Amino acid sequence: MMTETAAVVEPRTETLLAVRGLSKAFPGVQALSDLDWELKAGEVHGLAGQNGAGKSTLIKILSGAQRQDSGTIEIDRKAINFHSPSDAQAAGIFTIYQELSLVPQLTVAENILLADLPQGRFRAVSWPRMRAKARDALEWLGFEIDVDAKAGSLTVAEQQGVELAKALHRSARVVLLDEPAATLPAQDVERLLNVLRSLEERGVSLIYISHRFEEVFEICSRITVLRDGRKVTTVNREDTSPTEIVRAMIGRQLRSSIMGGTLLAEAEESQERPRLGTGGGRGDAALEVEGLSDGSAIHDVDLKVHHGEVVGIAGLIGSGQAELAACLFGDRPRTAGTIRVDGEPVALKSAMGAIRSGIGLLPESRKTQGLVLGMSVGHNITLANLSDFSRSSILNYRQERRAGADMRKALEMKVSSLNQPAVTLSGGNQQKVVLAKWLVSKAKVLIFHEPTRGVDVGAKEEIYALIRNFVEDGGAVLLMSAELSETMMCDRILVLARGRIVGEFDHDEVDPHGDAILALCH
Amino acid sequence: MSTEGSPQVQETPALQDRAAAGGVRRPQGGSMRALIARVLPRSYLIIVLALVVVAGTASSENFLTVFNIKNILITAAVVSVLAVGQFFVIVTGGIDLSVGSVVAFSTVLTAIFLREGLPTGPAMVLALLACALVGTFNGLIIVYAGITPFIATLATLSIVKGLSYIIQSGTLIEIKNQSFLNLFNVEIAGVPRPVLIFVVAMLIAAFVMKFTTFGRQLYAIGGNSEAARLSGLPVKRNLVAVYTVSGFLAGLAGLMLAAQLLQGSSLVGAGYELDSIAAVVVGGASLFGGTGDPISAVVGGLIIGTLLNIMNLLGVASETQLIIKGGVILIAVFFTTGAGLRTVRKLGALLRRPSPRTS
Repeated sequence: MMTETAAVVEPRTETLLAVRGLSKAFPGVQALSDLDWELKAGEVHGLAGQNGAGKSTLIKILSGAQRQDSGTIEIDRKAINFHSPSDAQAAGIFTIYQELSLVPQLTVAENILLADLPQGRFRAVSWPRMRAKARDALEWLGFEIDVDAKAGSLTVAEQQGVELAKALHRSARVVLLDEPAATLPAQDVERLLNVLRSLEERGVSLIYISHRFEEVFEICSRITVLRDGRKVTTVNREDTSPTEIVRAMIGRQLRSSIMGGTLLAEAEESQERPRLGTGGGRGDAALEVEGLSDGSAIHDVDLKVHHGEVVGIAGLIGSGQAELAACLFGDRPRTAGTIRVDGEPVALKSAMGAIRSGIGLLPESRKTQGLVLGMSVGHNITLANLSDFSRSSILNYRQERRAGADMRKALEMKVSSLNQPAVTLSGGNQQKVVLAKWLVSKAKVLIFHEPTRGVDVGAKEEIYALIRNFVEDGGAVLLMSAELSETMMCDRILVLARGRIVGEFDHDEVDPHGDAILALCH
Repeated sequence: MSTEGSPQVQETPALQDRAAAGGVRRPQGGSMRALIARVLPRSYLIIVLALVVVAGTASSENFLTVFNIKNILITAAVVSVLAVGQFFVIVTGGIDLSVGSVVAFSTVLTAIFLREGLPTGPAMVLALLACALVGTFNGLIIVYAGITPFIATLATLSIVKGLSYIIQSGTLIEIKNQSFLNLFNVEIAGVPRPVLIFVVAMLIAAFVMKFTTFGRQLYAIGGNSEAARLSGLPVKRNLVAVYTVSGFLAGLAGLMLAAQLLQGSSLVGAGYELDSIAAVVVGGASLFGGTGDPISAVVGGLIIGTLLNIMNLLGVASETQLIIKGGVILIAVFFTTGAGLRTVRKLGALLRRPSPRTS
């Protein structure tokens, strides 16, 4: 190892982890380009950026889940190569994802010591030692959790504690936290922040990603802003403000954009937020749902979406959004409830039936549910409406190509040809293909589930604009998202928690941070 | 509060390769060229077949004779018809292991019906219907009982084989009905009837896959059955249909075989299921579904058939032939859907002139 020649003034200025010239591309997207970034020993470093700015990619590379195309990772100024998450963990880097990765069937103790179970006689697992070690780690963090409980039976906050204990037990030097507070109730957030502070005091460096500025400004000593896969700036907390961070996140050209306006409104605590719909309440109800239940995840849901209106369903992951979307699209059996489209009751026993009734679903996972990836863009576009592009089951290729070309132009898809396989497109263009599929089948009601997940910033704006165009033409949109800033753009916001609608807000009623919505989510 | 951007699922290179190798072609020019490009199998298969023919011509003077070519085609006819049926199943991501048994079932039924004095027409129709029903049974238990295609058709293989033994009840049954034998053994303008049958079956299948909504739906189901369902496609109905088609074509192959062997026997047909699968995968289809085309499947079978013929002409022992056949399948699939595809595509990109962009 190289010896440091420059005198170290203060331990906190020593670089623990650094990336140099890091680049990573996915089909159609440059997720990271030539990123230089440093993490000092014992600091809490915030990563800010819009979805698609490259935060997740950076986390995935640092945790060994993905490999960079080029560039190096250095620990203690020594280049290191991660081939798998276990390599990263061996180097002391642990990641706590938003969706936790404990083994639910195993006990808390087993989960914490999974990687090196203590052995007793005959190399059998020594349960007393395992329990003691697990209890020590949890106690140190200030959690009182039964080490013999199954991990699956714990609350999210407790599971997070177990994840932290696991990292701590294996002498983590760096802990990556991706939206750790997003799924926690307010009192647990405070405890989490305290736990993180005690980790910091112990000399563990933390990389902290959160959309909530309060948390970032409360805990992080430095903040790096990423945009389009590049580093915009790294600043000390004392020298900046939420507004400045947001300005760096959205860049100059997007300042007047929909997402830009929304983020700025939040940072400046302003009530002036852009909206996606036309103002709502105009015209007749396009979709009316009464007393919808599925017997397990959805209970007694009532909702109405009017022509020209965008209704947002706010809710945490697991609140029932996916199940509600599937029920409304006929893809999940219902036990009760009536659904009307334009006043007509519809049976909705299958996706086929929903499509005939004029409903379209843009699912959460475009790759596994929305698109046939190996098929061409053109064929994906006409998939839901082949009968309109055929006579007596014989396909009319010319008509099909014309429709595809129209859509490609109208939605400004960036494809080299309609014959290009959908798998090679970026997330934003894939979403456009799914949207085109419903536009050619003349859907009146569109259900968007996480419409901009995995989509870069520019394409995100385009998708918002397309949603706006659709409702301006009289369409109705139900937008489900776990991202609050997204649902807050809607004309009306319904809050979904544990499968029930627990609140309703008008666009202009919501406070800048959406605290009222968040409070209901938990 | 969200999960953050950048692609959630990282595409494996294999998936992209499959996509590029799939039914999607480069931009097409004139409509005639477009038509040819759409109907012809992938060019490399033709090149491989041509190479095999050249090798055969070089190694034996008896190879490139009308007699021998007819021999190759007639020998390949039964497997070719099966390969077409198997293709319909494989393109949906399934597999049909029962076709060999169904072939035997078909020969036995036909022989019995003819022995009992049924006219040729009704005898054939009944046999075909029974075989199609076996396929329907496969489809129903796969779709509604949720049994994976491999296991479901493996069970049917055994059931149908047992049925054939019971129905046959004794030694093989000779077929003496001359009108039936003539139907399958005549030549029309120098083309043997079995060859005509497999070419027609192949062309119809190619048309269905390229130009009908049913074919398009099958590619979608094989490519991603969940997305297909969520696009409102009748996934279950189509799956039952493809196994029915496979059963029907296995029945047809059985008629051809019965006429060739002049008998019905429950002992024939074993191994045909694997030959037909080999043909389809050598023809470049992925067992995961969503790719390939029926003509390529038949050409894949012809490549294997021609190689076997050359080895026969050279007097290679049948045991050695089996080993070489297995090796050829591995090499072919390595380059069509396996890890070797990347090399092939790199070579192709080097050779290919830049294609014009269409707008």
